Amino acid sequence: MKRNLIWTLWAAGVAAVALFPHLFGVYYANALILFAVWALFAVSLNLLLGFTGLLSFGHAMYFGTGAYGAALALNHIKGLSIVPAVIIGMIAAVILALLIAPLVVRVSGTAFAMLHLAFAQLLYVLALKLRSITGGEDGISIYPRPDLNIFGLLRIEMNDQNFFYFAVIVIAAALSFLWFFTKTPFGQIMVGMRDNSKRIGYLGFKVTYTKAVVYAVSGGFAGLAGAIYALLQSLISTNDAYSMVVSVYPIMMVMLGGVLSYFGPIVGAAFFALIDEWIGSGQFQQLLLKLLSLLLPSSLAQRVSDFFQFEMILGLILVLVTLYWPLGLAGFIALQRMRWQMRRVSGGPQRSAT
Amino acid sequence: MEAYIAQGMHGLAYGMVLFLVASGLTLVLGMMGVLNMAHVNFFMLSAYLGYQVVAWTGSFWLALLIAPLLTAGAGILMERFLLKKVHAFGPMAELILTMGVAFIISDGVKAVWGTQNLPLSPPGSLSVLVNIAGVQYPAYRLFLIGLAVAILLLMALVLYKTRLGMIVRAAVADAGMVDALGINVPLVFMTVFGAGTWMAGVAGVAIAPILTVSPGLAAQMGMDAFIVIIVGGFGSLGGAFLVAILCGLLSAFGVQFLPQYASVLLFVFMAVVLAIKPEGLFGEKES
Repeated sequence: MKRNLIWTLWAAGVAAVALFPHLFGVYYANALILFAVWALFAVSLNLLLGFTGLLSFGHAMYFGTGAYGAALALNHIKGLSIVPAVIIGMIAAVILALLIAPLVVRVSGTAFAMLHLAFAQLLYVLALKLRSITGGEDGISIYPRPDLNIFGLLRIEMNDQNFFYFAVIVIAAALSFLWFFTKTPFGQIMVGMRDNSKRIGYLGFKVTYTKAVVYAVSGGFAGLAGAIYALLQSLISTNDAYSMVVSVYPIMMVMLGGVLSYFGPIVGAAFFALIDEWIGSGQFQQLLLKLLSLLLPSSLAQRVSDFFQFEMILGLILVLVTLYWPLGLAGFIALQRMRWQMRRVSGGPQRSAT
Repeated sequence: MEAYIAQGMHGLAYGMVLFLVASGLTLVLGMMGVLNMAHVNFFMLSAYLGYQVVAWTGSFWLALLIAPLLTAGAGILMERFLLKKVHAFGPMAELILTMGVAFIISDGVKAVWGTQNLPLSPPGSLSVLVNIAGVQYPAYRLFLIGLAVAILLLMALVLYKTRLGMIVRAAVADAGMVDALGINVPLVFMTVFGAGTWMAGVAGVAIAPILTVSPGLAAQMGMDAFIVIIVGGFGSLGGAFLVAILCGLLSAFGVQFLPQYASVLLFVFMAVVLAIKPEGLFGEKES
């Protein structure tokens, strides 16, 4: 019974995604790809933060390197198909991760976060300065989007609709790979390192080596997200790739959704995409203005609503979530479920100790 | 030769200001284990407040007095009402919280004062050139160096010659033990946090006449300050001082000899140090 229900839900989900571009059009299809990109990016960050206990404050460097890797490959290799381009982006990110890993795996906590901030900023500055390669602030464009070409046997043109299916399939595959990755014995060592890395060391596992492997995997999938992002936007610029805000986005998604669960960051990314859309389209500002003008004279209301720009709201969300929702949505649900079960066991309403 | 002296003085002045910012950051980090991402935003906030005070009263000296105090007040409020509450959730939550505050301050500053560069002129008595070893040098920068040295001495005096300083140093080493001895550690934390933001505030107003007041101020100073505390070693004041001066000189001479890559030089310096000593020059090894 339960099994059947799960299968039906899966089938319904797949059908909904397959029909999505037909039902809602290109604009929302692209919005869904963007959400998928953020989800993969956030999950790759959470592989370090939630599973291994390392906060990378500069994950934008892998996202950006994946994006630039794919874009540069497409601009310099004639007739490159879309799959190798994405793979090149991913490999570029993995190589970067392997270069940086020896410097960062020896530290943890705040030092780890700081080093990432610094290295991401270094790449940002480099991408701005190396104008001849990266195009500086203008970035590089990918136009037209390359075809999907499987050994000359199958050739699919990447129009918006086909690209939607391509992106969704690639990201879904990546997310399932990472899901199984966390379930392997190796994934359990990761969690063990988060909780007590000394003990994992005593058990005979190589802590720094394991960290480096997780690190490279996380970087690689962030790079994959970046490569898909670049293909989606058909343009990648320094600010979209390497700026500090790009590093903060996935942290925010993970915080919103919940650190301790695999699916938390995906839910967080959905939240984030909705907020982003809400603010980006100006609807939030209008609503705020309307609400404020009920209370305040109109000129003051305008001034106050102007106050709430994107970064301000980002900052407020970060502060409020850490203050009141430190484990994110997943933690909140787990807590509610625990309370509910406790109530059932004790047979009456009870205040929990928290 | 003159160019070397001038650049050297520039570097020294910048290094001193950098130390004023970084010392607060590294003290708070050493003591509370909190890396305050909003620290440089307080630095910027103070520059704006200073600009506002000058715009209202016309007195630079008043700005130098009032703006840092207001900034310190804001810092204390943040410590008291935000940081303290998330302390139980560990250093990651604190880091993310301060990041959020950083965003709020930087966007708030943009909303109030706009995004353009605001000029802040030094007081008339200091906008003259002085002759040092045959080089015409702006008196204001000399004043800046003097101010930084004065604050440094004051800080050293408090830290190493008073009872409060002793408690602070002990709390950096082992806050739990100091707490167990019956000292009100949260109060000490608050004082140190306030003092740290005050120093950043002084630096913000003091450097405003040189850099102009703009929303980019925080990012500009921020990266350098973070590099200073990473390379100097977390929580090490001496390390921060040495590296701040070194960074100031490196960026001043970098601009002269490698103008294109001056901003990359500091990162290269950091990477080299970390490759050899991951805990920083004067940092303690993680256990």
